[in-house]
Amino acid sequence: MRYKDLDPDRYSSVVIPGGFSFGDYLRAGSIAASTETMEMIKEMANQGKTVLGICNGFQILTESGLLKGALLPNLKMRFISKWVYVKVVRDDTRLTKNLPKKVLRMPIAHAEGRFVLEEEEARRLMVFQYSNEKGEVSEDYNPNGSVLNIAGIANEEGNVIGLMPHPERASFSLTSIDGNVDGLLLLRGLRW
Amino acid sequence: MVSLSEYELDVARKRLGRDPSPVEVKVIDALWSEHCSYKSSKIFLRSFPSEGPRVVMGIEDWQDAGAVDIGDGYAIVLKVESHNHPSAVDPFNGAATGVGGIIRDIISKGATPIALLDMIRVGELKDDKNKWLLKNIIAGIGFYGNSIGIPVVGGELSFDESFSDNPLVDVACVGIVKKDKIKPSVVKEPGLKLVLVGLTGIDGLGGASFASRKLSGENEIGAVQIADPFAGKIVMDVTLEIADKVEAIKDLGGGGLAVAVTEMANGLGARVYVDKVPLRVKDMSPEDIIISETQERMLFAVREENVEYVCKAFEYYEYPCAVIGEVTSDSFIRFIYEGKEIASLPSQLLLSPPLYAWPIREKARKINVKPNVELEQAVRSVLAHPDLASKEWAYSQFDYEVGTSTVVKPGEADSAVVSLPNGKLLAIKGDANPDLCAEDAYECGKAIFAEAYRNLAVVGARGIAAVDHLQFGDPKKPEIYSDFVDAVRGIGEAARFFSIPIVGGKVSFYNENKKGVAIKPTPLVVMAGLVEGKLLKPKVEEGSLVLIGYTRNEMRGSLFAKLFGPYGEVPKARLQEDYLASEVVLDLINQGTILFAKDVNRGGLMGSLMAILSKGYSAKVDPDRILGTDDLMAKLFSENGGRFIVITNSPESVVERAKRRGTIASVIGEVKKGNYLEIGSWKLNVKKEVEHHSNYLEVEMSD
Repeated sequence: MRYKDLDPDRYSSVVIPGGFSFGDYLRAGSIAASTETMEMIKEMANQGKTVLGICNGFQILTESGLLKGALLPNLKMRFISKWVYVKVVRDDTRLTKNLPKKVLRMPIAHAEGRFVLEEEEARRLMVFQYSNEKGEVSEDYNPNGSVLNIAGIANEEGNVIGLMPHPERASFSLTSIDGNVDGLLLLRGLRW
Repeated sequence: MVSLSEYELDVARKRLGRDPSPVEVKVIDALWSEHCSYKSSKIFLRSFPSEGPRVVMGIEDWQDAGAVDIGDGYAIVLKVESHNHPSAVDPFNGAATGVGGIIRDIISKGATPIALLDMIRVGELKDDKNKWLLKNIIAGIGFYGNSIGIPVVGGELSFDESFSDNPLVDVACVGIVKKDKIKPSVVKEPGLKLVLVGLTGIDGLGGASFASRKLSGENEIGAVQIADPFAGKIVMDVTLEIADKVEAIKDLGGGGLAVAVTEMANGLGARVYVDKVPLRVKDMSPEDIIISETQERMLFAVREENVEYVCKAFEYYEYPCAVIGEVTSDSFIRFIYEGKEIASLPSQLLLSPPLYAWPIREKARKINVKPNVELEQAVRSVLAHPDLASKEWAYSQFDYEVGTSTVVKPGEADSAVVSLPNGKLLAIKGDANPDLCAEDAYECGKAIFAEAYRNLAVVGARGIAAVDHLQFGDPKKPEIYSDFVDAVRGIGEAARFFSIPIVGGKVSFYNENKKGVAIKPTPLVVMAGLVEGKLLKPKVEEGSLVLIGYTRNEMRGSLFAKLFGPYGEVPKARLQEDYLASEVVLDLINQGTILFAKDVNRGGLMGSLMAILSKGYSAKVDPDRILGTDDLMAKLFSENGGRFIVITNSPESVVERAKRRGTIASVIGEVKKGNYLEIGSWKLNVKKEVEHHSNYLEVEMSD
């Protein structure tokens, strides 16, 4: 739906998808973060509804203060499209509560995905960490220079979640790499 | 600065019966520019087969892009274009606006863009300027394509000294539209309102003219447009939303308003009130407004009662929309400024520039002897060539999966595959071969068409439509024009052989470096095809290695000859062999007999094996089993067409299938986990070559 048309009372969850809101002009997600629509979404989050931000949606959530931290330009200073593995390290969020797998394969596609936050807090809030197939987290698997290999975080309550990888692109076997649908497993968490 | 010749000015004067005013000269200059008028190429372009049972809209209709039927009431729209000159001056904006322009060509037909291809050629990377060009070209394409949300699903990246000052930046776009919703770019009735959306500024002044002459080496930055993908996204979304309420849509490209209005009127007249054009900067002169090529603008022909609806849709996004004039019945294109008519030119004059068939002269060809090269040196040099290196550095900067319809992704196969809304799978690929075209543009024209056809077969698709882009130096030089004519003949012949219509195309002349040396002739073919049966996502696994087709000792134009010195015969495009070998591959895919298939082209058999070696597999080849020549170097490095390598667990059935189809296949070796290349008793550990393959661009481009 168009962002100006959101009626918060009609929905129990919001997904802010990836894209380039307002062309990412000024800073990724910053203009969208100051729209009235985001005020409504904050209200929804306060009511305990689920708010999921994917890629640019994650950037909007950090820019608007719904999630802690910030997303800076990748260390390589360029856009990176790549299939990665992420290890799921929190199971107290809406999305990861009943997840049958602990390592997921999904693609990233972003220029500003280097998550930064004071390390102790980051460790507490992180939900997804870039890893290898086995779930081993190391700098070798960090595509963008994020602190602690963080690919996504949630708020303390676990109802506001943001991640840079694209679960929706790993939800259809035809278009997914090797036919996996790990992203769909994650998105099923929206049905609660 | 105008590009019109004295002769052309004289023709205009005679037809007008008076001297054109300075404003009129600029309008004529834009319309008669090589870029917009195809005056040096049109005679020959007419020879392309553009008709076919699937063609909904072909090249003849003077439309922005061609369309072909893909069943279930849908059509795809296909277009290719270059932005070579702007990219040489400002590679980031030049490449980005190239993407924006091609996307607007697709939406001009009312079609939703679903995929982009980019074919890039630059000089060698040992030169820092070429690095700068490449870095910014890729960043520019990504900047625009990623933001607007159209995936770049494939392309080419190759290197040659002749592109040093004059990089080639070709972008192709595919769109999808309901067949009965295709919009024309021309009007058929007077009285329609001309509605312009977007702001007009002072960037891209005289760009069409700029693209139609040699780069001067002086400051030409003012002729390059600035890219604004967010505006482009609004234009795209709203244009598709209101397409049903307008009678014709035209992108403002080369030649700006002058060309868009004249071409849209298509023989009818138009009255344009220049004061009504929404401007980005104050105090623009009327002639600058008329020829400005500012991006992110569209022109619509709209019935009066629908004007409000159209403009309201744009105004929702605070995007400027204005009625700037109307279509008239008197066949004159008039521009009016402050109540005064500043230009009044007959449509026919503007739409029919003098057409040229320049003199041709074939190049003299030297006979050379075969260079004496050791096997190891030959293998190592070819495998290390930048043309064969992994292009991940480039395509990882593109959001190649946005839209979630990219089925076969960059680097996975010889073609990209995207899924369509009707459930069908579309394969697309662009191919060129400047080294071969420099040797023989006619054989090359056929060869690149055949290569595109083979590339589609690898994923299980048969070509249904093609567009071409013809890029050369100065057409007035007889040897260059000869290459142009030869290339057109070759492409046309192959298109007729495969019964694949050419539904659109583009020509770019005057591609020269600062010393006046032309680029290698670079005609390019982009082909689209449908996967009619099974799809093959090629996957390297252990199995037998089978070569389909004959290998010929025709080494001229090959990568081997480029590295060690030109020699031998030009490879003849035996189209029958391309067709038969492709049929064999399609059969095998549908039988489920093969795991992996790859076309043999750049670097010959050895070049093709790189796709296997780079996945952590060893390849063992018995050269005696490679049929068609006794020459070892030709067996390994010849780039003649009509061949594929496949990996299979039932090699005999591949050989049998080839025989049934009227051609040959030979089990030449095997593929196993490991990192060796074995040719007969000779063995090479290719760890270093594979590392180089993966890292070459990343390393070169990181400093």
